[in-house]
Amino acid sequence: MRRVWALIAVLVVLVGGCSANADQRVRITVATFGEFGYEPLFAEYERLNPGVDLVGRVTDFDSHHKGLITALAAGRGAADVVAVEEQYLPALRRSRDKLVDLSRFGARDLRGQWSAWKWEQGVVGDAVLGLGTDMGGLAMCYRRDLIERAGLPTDRDALAALWPTWQAYAEVADRFSARVPDARFTDSAGTVYTAMLNQAGENYFRTADDAFIGDTNPAVATAFELAGAIGAKHQTAALTTFTQPWNVGINQGAFATMTCPAWMLAQIKQAGGPGGAGVWDVTTVPGRAGNWGGSYLVVPAQGAHTEAAYAAAKWLTAPAQQKRLFESDNILPSQPEVYRDPAVLAHTDPYFRDAPIGRIFAASSDAVRPNHRGVRDADVRPVFGRALGRVEDGKQTVEQAWRQAVDEARTVLR
Amino acid sequence: MSRYTPYLLVAPFFLVFGAFGVFPLLYTAWVSTHHWHLIAGDGGFTGLTNYRDLLADPLFYNALGNTLSIFLLATIPQLALALGIASLLRRRGAAWQVLVLVPNVVPVVAVALVFGQLLGRDYGMVNFLLGRVGVGPVAWQADTWAAHLGVATMVMWRWTGYTALLYLAAMRAVPRELYEAAELDGAGGWQRFRAVTLPGIRPTLLFTAIASAIGGVQLFTEPQLFDGSGLAGAGGSDRQFQTVAMYLYEVGFSRFNAGYAAAMTWLLFLLCATFAITATTIARRIVRR
Repeated sequence: MRRVWALIAVLVVLVGGCSANADQRVRITVATFGEFGYEPLFAEYERLNPGVDLVGRVTDFDSHHKGLITALAAGRGAADVVAVEEQYLPALRRSRDKLVDLSRFGARDLRGQWSAWKWEQGVVGDAVLGLGTDMGGLAMCYRRDLIERAGLPTDRDALAALWPTWQAYAEVADRFSARVPDARFTDSAGTVYTAMLNQAGENYFRTADDAFIGDTNPAVATAFELAGAIGAKHQTAALTTFTQPWNVGINQGAFATMTCPAWMLAQIKQAGGPGGAGVWDVTTVPGRAGNWGGSYLVVPAQGAHTEAAYAAAKWLTAPAQQKRLFESDNILPSQPEVYRDPAVLAHTDPYFRDAPIGRIFAASSDAVRPNHRGVRDADVRPVFGRALGRVEDGKQTVEQAWRQAVDEARTVLR
Repeated sequence: MSRYTPYLLVAPFFLVFGAFGVFPLLYTAWVSTHHWHLIAGDGGFTGLTNYRDLLADPLFYNALGNTLSIFLLATIPQLALALGIASLLRRRGAAWQVLVLVPNVVPVVAVALVFGQLLGRDYGMVNFLLGRVGVGPVAWQADTWAAHLGVATMVMWRWTGYTALLYLAAMRAVPRELYEAAELDGAGGWQRFRAVTLPGIRPTLLFTAIASAIGGVQLFTEPQLFDGSGLAGAGGSDRQFQTVAMYLYEVGFSRFNAGYAAAMTWLLFLLCATFAITATTIARRIVRR
């Protein structure tokens, strides 16, 4: 029997060796989701590196990430370079041994390319797990017609001046609701809450030792109370982002404001349709800073050519390429050198009344502080999101929802 | 050689059954006795800890209650309705039978999407019609009973026609002489139905009871897609329509706790068996020989 296995092993090596001889090129697959705009870059990379074949693999958001997790669990099937959206990063940080520590190939030297917060999110301890691609600088989108009906200033700067803080934003919500009874001030309590959380340095887990502090961290409690109060007063439309009713809400003017990252503008255009041109406008978010979304390129350890994969990821995320992606597909770069480029800063959009969105998003991400996400962040985050949903549905008071959320979070983390 | 031929011929079934039936079952049992993270893998043997935690988990009981409630809301009207439809169909042509089966052929995802639209809170058709008759908008997803009813309706919509056709086939097999004899004895329509038809289709009744019990315990797609807010499997802000299969999905694929999810799979398996036996017993009792 042993001889048979030995024979098979020899055959496998021979066959493998033959195919390698026949084709000297290294084949690197790059798995992304949605729109990364990479295709033209692949061709150029192959021209610059004659030994390498870059092959793209694009799927939708959910199947992409579920597929990655399955492949990591099974130990096979992952692409050589995989894009990971920030909300999935904590889960991967937990199993960092499945990913190549890119510092092995010298990734630490690239640190200066990115905003500090963007770099930090892709790092666990000494290990570098991902190189940042785009980002989602946060702004506040608002409907001019509804704001005008409420007797509030429709000018971007004048409106933003009313809400330097979230506290002030909540007061504007009260003023709005008193004047406009048939529309809500914002889409959901969850988006307000998330934006506030992301402006804090720590959320549910302590930076120092990753211990759960969601129950005691004043930043979490403050955000929950403020967002919960807005929800309890029915100043939110209680719509979940990206759902069909939310799209209809954008179109029909169900709510006046919503936090919007750079990439959401495309969705507003789609939901708003041609009739929505000039209705929506963009201004600064309370607290001035924020980020929502954006991805990283990681290299699964199971790949056969991890070093070549790293080289491709490094090139794809380099400033020159980020600039080109912004020019070709409006993908917001995560590197100060690029987003402070005059071409990016001068970017405006006629659909949003020529709002200077390049400047707004750049200013927003300049002010972002690194935000620690615990490795079990994704287990706890939805618990608090649902709690705010209960408040909006009128099922519980803010107090009750908070207590249930804290209990549930502790149970989940047990 | 010919002695082995029969074994050879049945071997494919056993191989496939072994690979896709028995092996996963045993492997799941193995995983369930470990602390097992979906990505990181085996985290050490824990014995029956997962089962113990599960039996003390209020969220599991919540999911169990929801599953049972949706099952009852969906199954009882469904079987009764199917019986009625089958009796009506006896005097109709094949075109009607095809029509009745249509909902079952529509992919469940499409059904869920359509019902999701119909039962929308703000812009749903049902709420629009209810508004016309002066009933306030129902928060179909947020309210526990409304959500159960919504999911149950989807299940009913999909399976009533199918069940009706099964009943119809069984009814056609009941000997005509029995009806004639009953008529001679002076039995009316309802009495004939109770005394002849129901006992005559008893095996089919039992089958449908068991099939819907198993389907009911495993209910996943309809409630999962009924939750417009995402695919995490939580079943609403207060888990008001989270079924056991959804909780299993949430634990296994959102929290990546494969050990705990595997333990739940085994309990679900036992639950299916219990449910099926109970359903059979009850159906047997209702339709005495």
